Amino acid sequence: MEILKNITTTIENDYVKAARASGQKIIGYVCLSTPREVFDAAGIFPYRIKALGRGDTSMADAYLSRFNCGFCRACLQLGLEGSYNFLDGIIETNGCDHLRGMFENWQHAVPRPFFHYIRVPHLIDQDSLQWFKEEIELLISALNQHFASGIDDQKLQGAIEMQDRVSLLMKQIYESRWEGEIKLYGHEIMALIVAEGSMPAADYLQLLDSFNEEIKNRKALDVRARIFMGGAATDEISLVNELEKLGGLMVADSFCFGGRVFLREAAAAEPVKRLAETYLNNLLCPRMFMSYSNRKDYIFNLINRSKADGAVLFHNKFCDLHGIENVKLKMDLEKEGLPVMLLEKEYGAGADIGRIKTRVQAFLEQLKR
Amino acid sequence: MFYGGIDVGSLTAQAVILNENSLYAYKSMPVSSNPIDSASAVIGASLQEKNLQHQDLTYCVSTGYGREQIQKEGLADENISEISCHGKGAWWIMPRVRTIIDIGGQDAKVIRVDQEGELVNFVMNDKCAAGTGRFLDVMSKTLGVSVEEIGPLSFKTQKVIEMSSRCSIFCETEVHHYLQRGADLADLAAGINRTMAGRVMALVRRVGIEKEVTMTGGVAKNQAVRRELEKLMGLKMITYDLDSQLVGALGAALIARRLAEGKQ
Repeated sequence: MEILKNITTTIENDYVKAARASGQKIIGYVCLSTPREVFDAAGIFPYRIKALGRGDTSMADAYLSRFNCGFCRACLQLGLEGSYNFLDGIIETNGCDHLRGMFENWQHAVPRPFFHYIRVPHLIDQDSLQWFKEEIELLISALNQHFASGIDDQKLQGAIEMQDRVSLLMKQIYESRWEGEIKLYGHEIMALIVAEGSMPAADYLQLLDSFNEEIKNRKALDVRARIFMGGAATDEISLVNELEKLGGLMVADSFCFGGRVFLREAAAAEPVKRLAETYLNNLLCPRMFMSYSNRKDYIFNLINRSKADGAVLFHNKFCDLHGIENVKLKMDLEKEGLPVMLLEKEYGAGADIGRIKTRVQAFLEQLKR
Repeated sequence: MFYGGIDVGSLTAQAVILNENSLYAYKSMPVSSNPIDSASAVIGASLQEKNLQHQDLTYCVSTGYGREQIQKEGLADENISEISCHGKGAWWIMPRVRTIIDIGGQDAKVIRVDQEGELVNFVMNDKCAAGTGRFLDVMSKTLGVSVEEIGPLSFKTQKVIEMSSRCSIFCETEVHHYLQRGADLADLAAGINRTMAGRVMALVRRVGIEKEVTMTGGVAKNQAVRRELEKLMGLKMITYDLDSQLVGALGAALIARRLAEGKQ
């Protein structure tokens, strides 16, 4: 789809240009813990900061060290280059220290008019939920003060309902790879998810509808092996595409720019409390403490339901969170008899693609596929 | 019927031709800058030796860097990773082998195969020259000897100058420092080979050792690295008569034969 291509290859895409032309404010965020409904309720365009696989970090390396995650450095590079000058504000979260370094150096070097820090708890319990609810209230208050947004419960409820509809449809498309004929590639799912943070919710819902109709008329794909992919904070659609060309189709994933975007389980009725539950309880990220078993169960469930033949777990060089988590996951998945390959990589490293492909091809051969 | 295997690596290209039962012809030569040219030259020379044409090959498999392009250009019917090919080739020569340490010009792999020579597990070095042929290449230039000499040089001494780093760049700096202090070349060569083995041993530990163990690739010809690895593993590796750089192409030809049989 042409529209999807524009969104997933261009930072300042057509929707951003239209928003700017109409005077709509645009706020950048990175982490999945950021409740986008708050911005939707404020009439602000929430844009998920990404690097789209661009590996240049020459300017960012003057601020962050070479020992920081390449994804964070690549995003900072784009900020320093001016690719994100359309942002009226940035939301910082404590996703990890690399990410915080990125946000704070960005704001130091190329300050945006609005900058707000959401302190996301590392535990999931009642006290943490209360804390996070108060953080969301602080965010609402800051937006109302700076942008005169007029966010209220009714607007929040409307935004929540829209995201529920998006989530439901996306889940249907995502899980269509699990039963019967497979008609879409995993990298297409990643592209859809990258698009989610690049366009307004109502337009996105339309895009999903059109995509869902389009795939119904497709022929079944020839699949050599069904692969679960997980790990790193990455939006490298082209990397997943290259690996799928070898015949291993990504049937499920646990990427930050992956299926976790659409986890919505929450019980509360009151909008802010509901958002706190949605974004904290479903934050299946290795930055969370005492919840490895939740993440493991989630991944095991995905692997079983998607009937994956093997798993490839990525991590960006110097990402300790995913690097350590992947080792533990590999051990646990192998105990269950699933072949697993760990893949440490540089973010956006085109020069390394040959070596990565050699390993993945050998892994598919190991699976006798 | 004849079956071909083409392996184009970072430094050398090899081709092997099998008939139904045995190794029929083979060639090895330095690569040119274009993998297609290298593949064409090496398989062409192997075929020419036996007065064969490319169409006489029932099936051909390419491996190594550029394997996909070689297939796309029509020189091979299929491409298979060099990891599977080295495993299969080594197993065919020595059916007892289960662990293969393959060290080429720019990468190192430890490969585990089963009793059928099928790939069970593997590990490959990250994007780093340490523990690869390139490391020995850089170090030999620093010492002012050829890469072929760095192994035999080690056997001329009992003393080993230990390197404090396994990084190619830091190690080169360290060797310069020792040379300026008048260190003996043989002592330094022994230290370099030990460092190389130590780096590869980290990969071996990740896959685990299952006997029998052997080495393939160009660095297998360095007896000092082989000796250091044997010391670290506490075992004697098994050896074979064929040129260790031909094992990947041999594996590719064996897989070509199997794939052709499967298509009949």
